[in-house]
Amino acid sequence: MNAASKPHLLVVDDEPAVLITYQLILEQKGYRVSPASSSQEAYQTLRSEKVDLLVCDLSLEHSESGFEVIESAKRENPLLPSLLITGYATETAIQKAEDSGVPVLFKPIDIQELFETIASLLRNTREQPQTRGA
Amino acid sequence: MATLQMRVRTIEPGEALKKSRAAARLLATERSEEIFPVLLEEIVRLGYHRVLVARVDFETSVVMPFASLNCSKEYQQKFKTSLYAMENPVVRALHSLTPQIFPAEKGTSVLYCHPLLFRNKFGCWEAERRPVAECLAFDNAQLSRKLNLQDQVCGTCHMRAYAAVVVVEARQSETKQLAEVGTLIDLSNRYLSRLFKVEHYYNRMSDMEVTIGQMETVLASMTDPVVLTDTQHRVVMQNKVAERFFKLPEEVSEGRVRAVELNNLLFSTALSSMSISGSDTSRDMTLVDPVEGEELLFEAVSAATIGKNGRQTGMVTVMRNVTDLRRADQELRMNYERLRAAEELVRQDRDRLNVIVENVGDPIVVCDNQAKIVLIDPLAQELLGEKDGHRQSWQVQNQARFDAYVSSFTFSFSDRASGPLRLFQPESGGEIDYDARSGKIFDERGMVAFSVTVLRDFTAVKKLEQLKLEQRMLEMEKFAAAGRLAGMIAHEVNNPMEAIKNCIYLLTEGIKPESKPVYQILKSETERVSRIVRQMLGLYRNTDQVGNVDVNAIVEDTILLFSRQLERVSIQVKTDLPPLPVVTGSADQIRQVLSNLVVNAKDSMASGGTLTVRTRQMVPPGSVKGWVRIMVADTGCGIPKHVLENMFEPFITTKGERGTGLGLWIVKGIIENHGGKLRVRSKPGRGTAFRIDLPVIR
Repeated sequence: MNAASKPHLLVVDDEPAVLITYQLILEQKGYRVSPASSSQEAYQTLRSEKVDLLVCDLSLEHSESGFEVIESAKRENPLLPSLLITGYATETAIQKAEDSGVPVLFKPIDIQELFETIASLLRNTREQPQTRGA
Repeated sequence: MATLQMRVRTIEPGEALKKSRAAARLLATERSEEIFPVLLEEIVRLGYHRVLVARVDFETSVVMPFASLNCSKEYQQKFKTSLYAMENPVVRALHSLTPQIFPAEKGTSVLYCHPLLFRNKFGCWEAERRPVAECLAFDNAQLSRKLNLQDQVCGTCHMRAYAAVVVVEARQSETKQLAEVGTLIDLSNRYLSRLFKVEHYYNRMSDMEVTIGQMETVLASMTDPVVLTDTQHRVVMQNKVAERFFKLPEEVSEGRVRAVELNNLLFSTALSSMSISGSDTSRDMTLVDPVEGEELLFEAVSAATIGKNGRQTGMVTVMRNVTDLRRADQELRMNYERLRAAEELVRQDRDRLNVIVENVGDPIVVCDNQAKIVLIDPLAQELLGEKDGHRQSWQVQNQARFDAYVSSFTFSFSDRASGPLRLFQPESGGEIDYDARSGKIFDERGMVAFSVTVLRDFTAVKKLEQLKLEQRMLEMEKFAAAGRLAGMIAHEVNNPMEAIKNCIYLLTEGIKPESKPVYQILKSETERVSRIVRQMLGLYRNTDQVGNVDVNAIVEDTILLFSRQLERVSIQVKTDLPPLPVVTGSADQIRQVLSNLVVNAKDSMASGGTLTVRTRQMVPPGSVKGWVRIMVADTGCGIPKHVLENMFEPFITTKGERGTGLGLWIVKGIIENHGGKLRVRSKPGRGTAFRIDLPVIR
């Protein structure tokens, strides 16, 4: 499997230690990971590269919300799947995520669950064009 | 008679014939009244001209002419004299009991005075039957010279004696023949005495017959049975009423014979026991009415009959039918007992009522149907003032307002009323709204008898409630603040923890075999810290606004949330959720409570079981407050006793590595903040049941 055939994940988290460990774990799992420690970084990556999945922390620096990043990404690519991770979320935030069909994982995250969720999200996007084509 | 014949022989044949004829005539008399006329006639026939009998009236002590022949009125009057005029030869003759001869007023004549006195050779019949008794007639016969004029009544037979003098006027030449006249007078006296005695007894007999007749009438007219018995208790005499019970009529039924026999047996038994006990003169006796067949209760009063010799001759028993009397008496007694019991009941009720009234702690006023106060407790008295005592101006005003309130209630058609009554309260120094509650008491005809009014001062209660609410809000605020702090800390710790956990995962492959145990500890302890952090985050997340909470909806949500997890370990869920009032509190906190309890239940039933969640509305009667009860029960492993004691303290867990020890601590905190109560019952091996009571303010 070369770098190009690996699914490309964009992981956004303002905590460097968390960001790097997710990057390492997901790369170890065989994904191509682009880390972004701020929404600005994330936007850059989204503009410059093709991303298969967006994994985003809910609360970012400067009271930026993960939703903004996700919504922005979806404007570019409406089919881009995304996953919200959070240590703490209000009811309204969870409700909002559920309404827009974005799954939420609460920190501390069970790593197996993370893997499963990512795999399932990627599978769905791959299947969609095929279904459409058929 | 022999004496008479002897004397007759001494007289001349012609005279003798006359005398024997006189004796025969005297003997033929049948009545005492005939004696003197015959005697006087015979004396005249013997040749004496004037003859007279003077009789003694013992009551007036006067000697009175009684009968005479050939005597003028004036002549007779000469012989009327006092019994004590001893100078009078007539009186002398009486006293001395000896015939006297003295010259008459006319020179040639003499007066022969011969005394007569009731006397007999034998005593009266009654005296003869009694050896010691005296008889006047016999005593008189013993006298020779001296008459006892004071006591001429027989002590035994009560016969009143007679005494008289026969006065014969004779020529001086005839003095010798006077002895024969004396003999004739003596003879007639003996006849007289005998007739007198017979007549006396005849009279007495007649009197007795009258008396007996009267007695019989008395007996017959008595409506109570009267029985005279002898010493052997045999019936000697009885009245008609008694005969009904004790005597057999000629033609009778067998039943009646047996009844009469039984009655006789009962009667003689009663008499025997009465005479044995001696002092007992009255007793109850049951007899059978031979005609009607019913049992009758008699009270028998007996008295011994004593003969003349002083010995008991029998008994007289008078029986009174007391059947109805006793029944009435018994009924009376029963009624009295009933009355007493009722009275006691009333007294108890009154005492109880008094205790209640005194302890209510609220002013109570009882008014009559004219809205006039009849009963008032000290608290109410303080508000309204004493009835006839001096009143403060505010008491007068309170009374006026109370009167207006009670009048409108008393004369209204409603049985109950409640509403605010503004009265001046001395303690607070101002007017407050009492919550007046009134009810009517009706008499047995359904008319209003009394009204009762209780005045409640709710300001104190309200103040207390407010204080409690504030306290609770403060507690909740404190808890929320603690939760926020914990959440913030957790949030801060969460990201480093996430990094640490990820690092540990990344290291998995590169661990040397000898470092594996250390690595394992690092991993599991980190996971534990993660769980604590998550719990603390939950605490923070859930401290939100207070509002109306639908407990049943929360229960349903929670069960739904965990349904898949519960199914996976084959736990059956049973719910019983009847309609409930809303509870004031935090929906999220209560959701957390239920989640924690459901998770605990699930964990205790690793190999399946039943989870039961029930809710109930608990409203104590008459209370303003109520409760919503939530019961969460499992059939799991239960909680050991040593854990039960401090299971609500933080960091106590039975789940070892998997538990944080915070779940029940949070549950308790939330319930207490809601003013609720939490109870747990558990049996190791059988299961655990939590009971939560949350207050409902209506």
